[in-house]
Amino acid sequence: MLNIQNLERRWLKYKIKSYSPYILGVVALLTLLIAVAFSKNDIQREPKETALSPSNPTPEASSTLLEPSMDFIRSFQTAAPSNEPPKATLQKNAQPVREPLPIPKLVTIPPPDLSDEKSFSLNRNESKLDIETLERRFKETSNANLGLFIARYHYDHGNYSEAYNFALKTNSISNKIEESWIIFAKSLVKLGRAEQAKKTLQFYITDSNSEAARALLDTIERGTFK
Amino acid sequence: MEHSLFSKPRDLFLDVVNPKDYVHIDSISHIYQSLKSSVQKPLKMILLFGRPGTGKSMLLHKLHHDLSKYQKVFMFDIPIVDEDDFLRVLAERIFTYSSHEMITLTRFLEIAKDAAYSDTPIVLLDEAQLYSSSLMEKIRLISDARVIKFVITLHKTDKEEIIAKEHFQTRIWESIELQNATAEELKIYVQKKLLKANCFDVANMFNDKNIKLVASLTKGNFRETNKLLFSLFSLYCWYEENNPALIQYNALKSKWIEMAAIHTGLIHA
Repeated sequence: MLNIQNLERRWLKYKIKSYSPYILGVVALLTLLIAVAFSKNDIQREPKETALSPSNPTPEASSTLLEPSMDFIRSFQTAAPSNEPPKATLQKNAQPVREPLPIPKLVTIPPPDLSDEKSFSLNRNESKLDIETLERRFKETSNANLGLFIARYHYDHGNYSEAYNFALKTNSISNKIEESWIIFAKSLVKLGRAEQAKKTLQFYITDSNSEAARALLDTIERGTFK
Repeated sequence: MEHSLFSKPRDLFLDVVNPKDYVHIDSISHIYQSLKSSVQKPLKMILLFGRPGTGKSMLLHKLHHDLSKYQKVFMFDIPIVDEDDFLRVLAERIFTYSSHEMITLTRFLEIAKDAAYSDTPIVLLDEAQLYSSSLMEKIRLISDARVIKFVITLHKTDKEEIIAKEHFQTRIWESIELQNATAEELKIYVQKKLLKANCFDVANMFNDKNIKLVASLTKGNFRETNKLLFSLFSLYCWYEENNPALIQYNALKSKWIEMAAIHTGLIHA
């Protein structure tokens, strides 16, 4: 027997638990950013203090401020010669890369892709048989949901004319299935009949007020439909 | 509740081994065909192994269902663990020799010889990891004498692999390994099962995201998938009766899939 309230509570607990590492990560990142921002502020304040120090009449304070920074510069200068050569090589390397040379030509992908397609087509042959039995069943039963299933299958597999046909058949059985109208219009666009797709969608929108259809019409009109 | 859209899909995923519910998936069909052809070869023994829930029992039942039409095939889905009982039950079912006395291995081989079947009878033993080592040794000797051809299933764990090695390494045998399904195979399995039962609208609710979630939770294990989907559709039945406004009919809710996973113990929350 299902205890839905208990399950809902456990699900919430599970979600909080599963998101907690991300939340902790975000919090840690934020605190780090805040800490960096504060330390930057401190650095900006420090020069002000040194700028102010010469106007102060006490000379002891200014001397204590300068001494450590001098040490740092000295140590930096001693370390400088070992760092110079890699810098130079980096610059040398950086220049030839700007020239448009053979790198794009070396990237040749086709052979593995072809073998993949071959193995995939074998699987498709098996599923092709299944879709044929489903199509036969659709002919016998005229079930709109089965029609939608077949139309969606064909659209997903790039058989747009088949997707168009089955969506059309589904629409004629039941004209209230939104997804079927969407697949119908999308297939039309894919078949190069965008104008007809727009008209169909406009007609369907006035009839159903469908948000999904309106969004699709928008993308087709803007030319952003892929 | 009886007219619920989800009660039929729920009952479809009850974890029951019935060869009529067998769903053709490319990889499994391939394994089944090789198993079928192995049975026809003059092999003494065939070993079917894999992790629990990969469909071994289903394949064995399907094999029994298909072969029994034209061949002497005997299915033992409940292991006969008692060694004395094992030979007695085998003699009774295969060679119609009934006796209340204990049958020795030599006596059993004599009974088999007397029966003189033209085709070697096939015995399908499910859950063979439950048999003792000495009983496995008897099975090996019977198959060596070519009086019975055995097809046995084993759970794939380290221990059982040792048993398999010990008993079958030197024999003429074939081993077939079953593995968990990929997300793509699981999608075909679920949709075919639903379409077979005319649950078109529920089959339409499964999108790739749902299937990926199911596959990640069950790791492609058929038994776990059945359990998960049974709980999921039980949840849908409950919501349909108590809060139908929450149901979306264009896709399954990830939240409810996760709740079903919590219920079945796939998620520990």
